[in-house]
Amino acid sequence: MTRHRLATAAVCVALFAVPLAVHDEYYLHLCIVAGIFAIAVLGLDLIVGYVGQLSLAHAAFFAMGAYTSALLFVNFKWSMWLGLPAAAILTGVIAFVLGSVILRTRGHRFIIITVVFAELMKLVATNWVDVTRGFMGLPGLEIPKLYVPGLGAIDIASKAHFYYVVLVVALLAFLLCRLIVRSSIGRKFVLIRENEALAESLGISALRYSMIAFAFGAVLAGAAGSLYAHYVGFVSPDLFNFSYVTIMLIMVILGGKGTLVGPALGAVIFTFLPELLREASHWRMIIFATILIVATLFMPRGIIFPLVEHLLPQRWRTRHASTP
Amino acid sequence: MSPSIAILCQHLLNGVLIGCAYALIAMGLTMIFGVMNIANFAHGEFYMLGGFLAYYLVSLMGLNYFVALPVAVILVVVLAIILQHAIFRRLRDAPMMTTTLVTIGLSIFLEHVALLMWGPQPQSIPTPFPTKPLSFFGVYTTPLYLFCMAVTGALIVVSHILVRRTRMGKAMRATFQNKEASALVGIRIDRIYMYAFAFGAALAAAAGAVLGGFIPVEPTTGSIVTLKAFVVVILGGMGSFVGAIVGGLLLGMAEALGAGYMPTGWKDAIGFFAVILVLLFRPEGLFKRA
Amino acid sequence: MQALKLILAAVVFIALAPFAVAQETVRIGVVQPMTGPVAYDGNIYVNTVKMVVDDLNAKGGVLGKKIELVIEDGACNPAQSVNAGEKLVVRDKVVALLGAFCSTSTAAMMEVAKKHKVPLITGISTAAQLTEQGNPYFFRAVATTPMLGNAFGAVLPGAVKAKRFAFLVLNDDWGRSMVASYPKSIERAGGQIVATEFFQQSDLQFLSQITKVKASNPDAIVLAANTQQAVALSKQIRELGITVPLIGEGSWTSDSYLKLAGPASDGVYGLVEYVYTIHNPINDAFVKEFQAKLKENPTKFAGAAHNAINIVVDAIRRAGAADPEKIRAALEKTDYNGLVGNIKFDAKHQAYGQTVYLAHVKNGVPEVIETATIAKP
Repeated sequence: MTRHRLATAAVCVALFAVPLAVHDEYYLHLCIVAGIFAIAVLGLDLIVGYVGQLSLAHAAFFAMGAYTSALLFVNFKWSMWLGLPAAAILTGVIAFVLGSVILRTRGHRFIIITVVFAELMKLVATNWVDVTRGFMGLPGLEIPKLYVPGLGAIDIASKAHFYYVVLVVALLAFLLCRLIVRSSIGRKFVLIRENEALAESLGISALRYSMIAFAFGAVLAGAAGSLYAHYVGFVSPDLFNFSYVTIMLIMVILGGKGTLVGPALGAVIFTFLPELLREASHWRMIIFATILIVATLFMPRGIIFPLVEHLLPQRWRTRHASTP
Repeated sequence: MSPSIAILCQHLLNGVLIGCAYALIAMGLTMIFGVMNIANFAHGEFYMLGGFLAYYLVSLMGLNYFVALPVAVILVVVLAIILQHAIFRRLRDAPMMTTTLVTIGLSIFLEHVALLMWGPQPQSIPTPFPTKPLSFFGVYTTPLYLFCMAVTGALIVVSHILVRRTRMGKAMRATFQNKEASALVGIRIDRIYMYAFAFGAALAAAAGAVLGGFIPVEPTTGSIVTLKAFVVVILGGMGSFVGAIVGGLLLGMAEALGAGYMPTGWKDAIGFFAVILVLLFRPEGLFKRA
Repeated sequence: MQALKLILAAVVFIALAPFAVAQETVRIGVVQPMTGPVAYDGNIYVNTVKMVVDDLNAKGGVLGKKIELVIEDGACNPAQSVNAGEKLVVRDKVVALLGAFCSTSTAAMMEVAKKHKVPLITGISTAAQLTEQGNPYFFRAVATTPMLGNAFGAVLPGAVKAKRFAFLVLNDDWGRSMVASYPKSIERAGGQIVATEFFQQSDLQFLSQITKVKASNPDAIVLAANTQQAVALSKQIRELGITVPLIGEGSWTSDSYLKLAGPASDGVYGLVEYVYTIHNPINDAFVKEFQAKLKENPTKFAGAAHNAINIVVDAIRRAGAADPEKIRAALEKTDYNGLVGNIKFDAKHQAYGQTVYLAHVKNGVPEVIETATIAKP
C-alpha cells in the first residue's frame, strides 16, 4: 500500500519538476500538447475503456470546446478562466443530448454515427461563416493572466508557466475520473461493458449510464479543447479533421484502455512519437501506421499491461488486474 | 422539353451516375461488414488504389484502357488477399475495437504509400472516349459517363447474382447469418473471409478505376469515399446488399437534387441528415440484413 | 535499405544538430505544404526558393554569409504549420519566415510570428483579413482577391464579351471574398451576376453545381479553384454541354492544369499575379533558368516564391544584420523590382504597385492579353 503511494508521489514530483529540468521550449511545447491531449483522452477512456463503446465523436467535442471558448473570447471577451468551464459544460450538455439519441445503438452502427456527427459539426464550423468565420477560423486568442491575492497578476503565457496550468487541470481530471470509476457508477459502467443484458435485468439502464460516461467524457474533451485554443491562439475547422480522433483513439487503446493511467501515458507517447519521426518526413506516417497496426495486433491490451508486468514485482500486480 | 424539366432530368441523371458508384462501393463495404464483422475504414483506399493503378497502367505503362481497368482491379484483389492473410486472419475473433483500429491504421498506411508512389498530384485516367458531350432533349452526358453507368450497373447486377445464386454466394450468406453453424456444416470460414474481403475490395477498386476517368484520384480521396460508403451502408442497413444498392442510388440522387435546389455548401450534409433521420425512426436501416 | 539509410541519416543529423546552431549562415525558415492536397504547388514553391537561394549563395550570399534554408512541411494544416513555425523559430533560430500557402495556415502562423517577433512573409495567401489584424510581423507580397477584382472586374465584360456572369467558387474565404468583391466592378461595367454556387475543398465532382449554373444561362463563368479542382471543373463543365468562356483565379494557367485539362483548357482566361509568358528581362532569365533546372514552366506559385525570397533577402541586406527586428523594419521600407514590377508595402504591410495579368489560353499557351497595376489600397 505505502509503496504504491510512494510511486504515485514520485511520479507527481517528477511531473511538477519537468519545467525545471527541461528548458528547451520545443520540448516544453510538446509536454503541454501531451498534457492537453491527456485530459481529452481520459474522458475518452470512460466511454471506450469503461463502458466499452468506440466513439469517434470525441475529437468533435474537443473541437467544439475549442470553438466555444474562442467564440466567447472573441465576442464577449471572456478570458480562459471563464471560457474553459463554459466550454466544458456546454460540450457536456450537447453530448448528453446527443447521447440520448445515439447511445441506443451499439457496435458498428454507433461508431459510424459518431463519425457522421463529427463530419456534420465540421460542416457547420465551415459553413456557418457569420459566426465561425468558416475556413478563416478565429485568431488572436490569448492566455490570460492569473490573479493571485497577495501576489498580483502572474503571467502564465510562458511555456513553463502554462505547463503548470495544464498539469493542474490534468491532475484534477485524473482524480475526477478515478473517483467516478471507483464509485458505484464506475462499477455499473464495467458491468454494462461486460454483460449488458445482466445489467439491464438488474435494473441498470445501459442508456442512462452510457450517457453519463459520454457526457462526462465530453466535458473533459471540451475543457482540453479550450486549453488548446488559447494555447495555440487560433481555431479553424481543421480541428474537426479525422486525424485528431484517430490519434486520440490510438492513445487510449494502445495506452491501455480502461486503466486511466494507460491513456494518459498513451497521450505522452503518441504526442512525442510523431514529432520524433518528423525527421523522416515522407516515411513518417507510414512508420506511424505500421507501428499502430503491429501494436494493435500484438499488444491489444495496450502498452500499460506489458509495462506493468515487466516493471512491477508480483505483489503489486493484483492492484492493476482490471479486465481489458 | 422545357428548360426546367431538362435541368431536373439533368440533376437526376447526375444523381444516377454518382449513385451507381456509391452503390458499388457500399456493396463491397457491406459485404466485408456482413461476413467478417469488420467496419473497414480502409475501404476508400481500395477505391483510390483502383484509380491510381488504372492511371499508372494506362498513362505510364501504355496499356490499353479496357485491359488496364480489370488488371487494376486484379492487382487490388491480390493486395486484399495478402492483407487478409497477413492481418485479418489473425483478427477473426478479435473484438471490434481491435479490428476497427487496424483498419484505421491500414487506411493511413495505404494513403501514405500511395502518396509516396504517385505523389500528391491528382490524376485522372486518360480514356479513349470522345469528349464531346451528347445531348438528349437538353440533357447532357458523355460517352464516358454512359460507360461508367453501364459498367457500375452491370457490376451491381453481376454481384447480386453471384451472391444470390452461386454456391460461394450462399456460403457467404450462411456465414453472414451464423458463423458457428456454417463452420459446423463444413464451410471453410477462412476461405469465405478471403473471398468476401477480396470481393469487397474488388468492387471498390472497380468503382475507382471506372470513375477515375472523370473524377481525378489523389491519395486523400480514400477517406472521403470511405465516409460516403459508411453513410450509404447505415442508410441501407449494415450487411444488406439490397440496402447498399438502394441506399447508394438514393443518396446519389438526394445529393444531386438537394444540391440542385438548395445552397450547395451543405450538399454533403444531406447524407448526414438522412443518417440521423434513419437512426431516429428506423435504426436498422431501410433493409434488414440479407 | 531505404529505411536503413534514413535511420543512419537521422542519427547523423541528430548528432550534428548541436553544431548546426553556430550562426555562420543566415537562416531563413520556409513552411509550405509538402504533403496534402496542394503539395504539388507547395513543392514547386520550395524548389523555386531553393533555386533562387543557390543562385544568391553562388554570388556570395547576403551580408557576407551564405543563406541557409530550413524547410518544414505545414501541409496546409494550421496546427501542423504552427508546430513547424515554432520549431523553426525556437530550435533553428531562423531570422525570417516564408509561408504557409493556405490562408488559414498562414493566419495560424501569424500568431507564431507575433509571439516570437520574427517577420513572416507570404506570397500566396490572399484572404483579405490577414492584413486587417494589425500584426506588425506579417507581410503579404501578393495582391488579394478584392484587389484583383478591382483591377480587372470592370475589364471582364469587354474582354470576354459577356454580360451575364455566373460564379462557381471554392467555399472558403478565398471564394467568398471573390464573390464579395468582383460583382461590384463587373456590374459597374454593365455586367450582371446570374448565379453564385459553391463547392467544398474536398469535392471531386461538381455535376450538381454545374447543372445549377447552367440553368441560369450565363455568358461566362468566373471560378476560384486550384489545379486539382480546376481540371475536374473544366472537364465536367464542358461535358455537361456548357461552351461559354471560363475565367479563373487560381491555377488556370499552370503547365499541370493545361496538361491535365487538355482540350477543356482551351480558351480559358486566367486572372493571375504571375504567368510565365510575361516579358521583361528579370522574368525572361527566371523562366529560362526554371525550364533548365526544373524542366517545366514556372507557375504563379513559383513566381510568388521568387518574389517572397528576394524581398526577404533584399530586406536583410538593407537591414545590415541578421536580426529579426531590423529585418522587419527594413521590410516596411521595401522598394523592390522583380518579376512583376515594383512592389512596396503599405501601412498594413500589403503589397501594391505590381502588375497583374489577364491571360488567355490558346493552343496550350497562356498569352497575356491585358495588364493592370495594383493601386495603393
